[in-house]
Amino acid sequence: MTQTLQTPATQPAEPVRRRKRRRTDVPEVTAKAQARLGIALVTPLLILTVVFLLFPLANALYYAFVDFNGLDPTPPWVGADNFTELAQDPDVWAALKNNVIWIVLGTIAPLAIGLVYAMLVWGIGRGGAFYRVMFFLPYVLPPVAVGVVWGWIYEPSRGWLNKALEAVGLDGLTRGWLGDPNTALYAVLATAIWATIGFVFVIFLSALRNVDVDIVDAALLDGANWLQRLRYIILPQIMPVFLMVTTITLIGGFAVFDIIFVMTGGGPADATEVLGTYAYSNAFQLNRISYGTALALVIMVLSIPFAVGLNRLQRRLSMQGTTA
Amino acid sequence: MSSERMNRRSRAALGRHGLLIALSLLMVFPIVLTISTTFKTSEDVKVNPFGFFSSFSWENLSNAWNVGNFDAYLLNSFLLSVPSTLIVVILSTMGGYTFARLPFPGRTFLFYLVIVGLLVPFFAYMIPLYFQLRAMGLLDSLVGVNLVLASTGVSFGTFFMRAFFADLPAELDQAARIDGASEWQIFLRVMLPLVTSGVGALAVFTFLQNWNNFLVPLLYIPSGEYRPLTTGLYLFLGGRTVDIGPLAAGTLITILPVIVLFIALQRQVTQGFISGAVKG
Repeated sequence: MTQTLQTPATQPAEPVRRRKRRRTDVPEVTAKAQARLGIALVTPLLILTVVFLLFPLANALYYAFVDFNGLDPTPPWVGADNFTELAQDPDVWAALKNNVIWIVLGTIAPLAIGLVYAMLVWGIGRGGAFYRVMFFLPYVLPPVAVGVVWGWIYEPSRGWLNKALEAVGLDGLTRGWLGDPNTALYAVLATAIWATIGFVFVIFLSALRNVDVDIVDAALLDGANWLQRLRYIILPQIMPVFLMVTTITLIGGFAVFDIIFVMTGGGPADATEVLGTYAYSNAFQLNRISYGTALALVIMVLSIPFAVGLNRLQRRLSMQGTTA
Repeated sequence: MSSERMNRRSRAALGRHGLLIALSLLMVFPIVLTISTTFKTSEDVKVNPFGFFSSFSWENLSNAWNVGNFDAYLLNSFLLSVPSTLIVVILSTMGGYTFARLPFPGRTFLFYLVIVGLLVPFFAYMIPLYFQLRAMGLLDSLVGVNLVLASTGVSFGTFFMRAFFADLPAELDQAARIDGASEWQIFLRVMLPLVTSGVGALAVFTFLQNWNNFLVPLLYIPSGEYRPLTTGLYLFLGGRTVDIGPLAAGTLITILPVIVLFIALQRQVTQGFISGAVKG
């Protein structure tokens, strides 16, 4: 794991450097043979990328500036109309607000819980591998299946959540969690948090392995309590990882789709509508293909700065030699 | 160390384990619930669908399998995950090697073209891709969906494999070249065997990603031919009369291969998922 986390960090700019160095110390024949093999090896990869990614992406830009209904072979050019309509669509703003709630809580909660889990498992010795499997398992499950099962937990009459609340005397809190517009978004979000904790936990745990135990022990001798140790010794040392996880969950928060689509479909009364589900329903249910595409592009534009920032961050981390 | 202090230590450790075991149970609770409901009798499901292990029968599994089409969905999930994973692994290994070790003019530009996929979420181009596939006659086809699934994985795969190849020492290919090996032989015989751990992690990770993928089959298999487990489960959920027993069995069929694979190859899976999380 240590190795792979660094891998994305051995980053761009590098091919250039390597080429320059190679040119000088490799005979002409070899350079030619390398170029020939290289071109042969990347051609299939490039064809796949161009046909199934770059071409449709370019097409998306075109769709966003016309009014395409799925049938018309020459849709009328409408300029930026789709985007001005987006900016004035209250449903878009409502969806964006849900995305923001999703991003904020969906980032903070897994970070906090994941850190607690990691601190608990840190240095436990025997059993550590077992807990890692148990905590990480939810993260690898298909979101569809996760949504189905959590739907049962939230079931109004027989679900475990309401039963548990009744058992501890909190009958007043019981409700149809996914059917109540006030709680639906948070119920789905709790499911997503449950699925993400393991991921954050594993990253934190490997970061904690790099924390100098001697310093922690010294602080212990100096009489620092656990909160002080966390605040002044452990957190600073794992801060880079903290930032990385934040960015990752943040990027995911803009594009969230599967779990909401499966659990509530954006309802009840649009209470769980996010940009992703709204773009989907416009394009594939209302045949407003251009409008949906424009919205999808907006989602991309919103998340790209964070993706770039993440990449930068990881490169910096690798330069500092911080292993995660 | 005094025995009293030892005692306090081991008691603290015991408490920590107790807490961790409770948390573990909480984390896997939904999976236990799935298993419990799957193996109930149909009468029991009607009155007490979520009570733990109150009866036993195979009927939900056999219903999901024979009536709910989950036998076909399972097969389709393999038909959509295995070829697409192979494509990703092969193309990414070839591409990763080139971008790490085979310089030619314009290579950096091509690298950025391939890496664009790391920044662009599938969302951004999924709608035009639908119409493109329809025009190409690739909607509802194994070929089309496999290629799309592969295309969503190669950006990360190339990126991932490139780092492995870049880490190998330059002396290796120089030595092989002096021994008279061709560039192709150097790639296949010298370099490839040294990155098998990377290939393995990429393969497991990609397989799980494709197996779990929901949006691609949802969009590009509209007729339902070759419908995999994920969208099959969703369809079953959307039926007017939701039959919880077979639904639980279908859920179990969907997650069981994932769980088995994860437990058998946890190191590779964790490794893949953590470095793959970068992908939006």
